[in-house]
Amino acid sequence: MTREELISLFSPDLFIPKLKSTNRDDALQEMVDHAVEAGVIRDREVILGMLKNRESLGSTGLGSGVAFPHGRSLAIPKLMALLAVSKKGVDYGAIDGKPVHLFFMFIAPPVEKDNRYLPALGQVVELIRDDASREKLMALKKFDEFKAILEED
Amino acid sequence: MTALSEHLLRLVALQDLDDMIRESKDKTLAKKLEDMGFAMGGQEDLQAARDELATGIDKVLLSRYERAVKRLGRAVVPVTGNICLGCFAVIPSAFVSAENQEKIQHCENCGRILYWPRGS
Repeated sequence: MTREELISLFSPDLFIPKLKSTNRDDALQEMVDHAVEAGVIRDREVILGMLKNRESLGSTGLGSGVAFPHGRSLAIPKLMALLAVSKKGVDYGAIDGKPVHLFFMFIAPPVEKDNRYLPALGQVVELIRDDASREKLMALKKFDEFKAILEED
Repeated sequence: MTALSEHLLRLVALQDLDDMIRESKDKTLAKKLEDMGFAMGGQEDLQAARDELATGIDKVLLSRYERAVKRLGRAVVPVTGNICLGCFAVIPSAFVSAENQEKIQHCENCGRILYWPRGS
């Protein structure tokens, strides 16, 4: 997957610059509700249940203030990527126990024609392993800044 | 939301959970995710969530679901562009009204339960 293709998965409609929630379940709910309001998700409870079940396999908070709630659901017709930033930080049960400030949510249908879900997830995980990129992303205020950071990386 | 669509949503949630359990046991996939840094160790919790969800589903429906899983591998499938993504048969137009999409309907060709996700 090219960087351009990765950027194209995200949109301003699915960007939350100031997440209000401070715990994991509320944060997942706030992000899913945002996607419902954006018209991307209809069956909220199905998606929310799937995301919570995924967390029971092991936290998707990979540490250093970043989490990647993700999974597959019948309730989504095509891959969805949502980006959210929390200034206060969310008590997410991350593997390092630190609050999460940056969320990349990926939800994919069970079968994808172009199979972009895992490559996209892997590429973003790789991106945030770079300290400089991660710091810039955690300070995001506008969606255009996100695109610029990914383009320059 | 009608009571019937609630049944359908529970079946969709059950299929999602069964897919997740199956994926968590897929060694190739699990390794890919573990290489990214994701832990894949809570299968027992997933099974417990599955058992709990199943108890809230009508027994007749659950039995049909389980039989379809055994026979076809997947019991609930999405419909996109009026095509059943389980067998790629065209769904008759009588099935696709907004009202009927809320009901539990089976593909006439393969017998799987049909579900219309938003945007399809």
